[in-house]
Amino acid sequence: MIDNQSVYLAISIILFVIGAAGAICRRNAIVVFMCIEIMLAGVSIAFVTFSRANQSLDGIFMVLFVMAVAAAEAAVGLAIFVLMYRKHGSIDLDKFNLMKW
Amino acid sequence: MELVFILICGGLAAIASLLVIFARSTLHSALWMVVSFFMVAVIYVLLHAQFLAMLQIIVYAGAIMMFILYAIMMLNLRREQDEKVPVRNSKIFGLVALVVLFMELVMVALQHGVEAIHGPITDQLVQAHGRVAVLSNFLFSDYLLPFEVASILLTAGVVGAVVLAKRTK
Repeated sequence: MIDNQSVYLAISIILFVIGAAGAICRRNAIVVFMCIEIMLAGVSIAFVTFSRANQSLDGIFMVLFVMAVAAAEAAVGLAIFVLMYRKHGSIDLDKFNLMKW
Repeated sequence: MELVFILICGGLAAIASLLVIFARSTLHSALWMVVSFFMVAVIYVLLHAQFLAMLQIIVYAGAIMMFILYAIMMLNLRREQDEKVPVRNSKIFGLVALVVLFMELVMVALQHGVEAIHGPITDQLVQAHGRVAVLSNFLFSDYLLPFEVASILLTAGVVGAVVLAKRTK
């Protein structure tokens, strides 16, 4: 009989890997941003799973702060995308080479 | 019974996440993202983290997705959807590395099962005081400093976004 917790961990791993695949393969900056959010969701599920298994609230607070950081990241990141669109006329990540050495 | 719900919600979350990647238009991937966030919220409810589930719906499916939809509708992205570029070598290497990462994660999850430690937050405590009350007691005592730092971070993020996106004349 499969443990429920290992099913939760499996979902978390699958979401993380799907998000990472999208972040590698897609060139649209907004889709890459959303894929990073999927990766964060996968990690959050793992945190909550362990938090419940250990009868502790630490994992839940970790997810809470992940949400706060994700909100700030969304605000700044989308402002950067708008700037890049004004400058280059697209948000194709292959065309962003300002910081490339 | 719980297992069936977990499998349904996890499967729907995975399918919605895959559709985020494979959708042709950015707007469609944003809408599939909302579905994925809702399924993750249901998984939080199954994990007895109802407060997080509400936050997931309000913050992610509400606020952050509204940000993203605004950005998509502000930018005219139709042109570059039509362009086709050949697959780069770096992307193939990246996908191979990803498969290796997936194998490693599965092996780690299989080898070390979740060892239950009996912590202070038992079901009796939660039922006696209520879940949000227990949560807020911890949040405003043990986690007060990270809470304040998070509020400073959010303020800095909003100010930074306004400064960045302001049109210089």
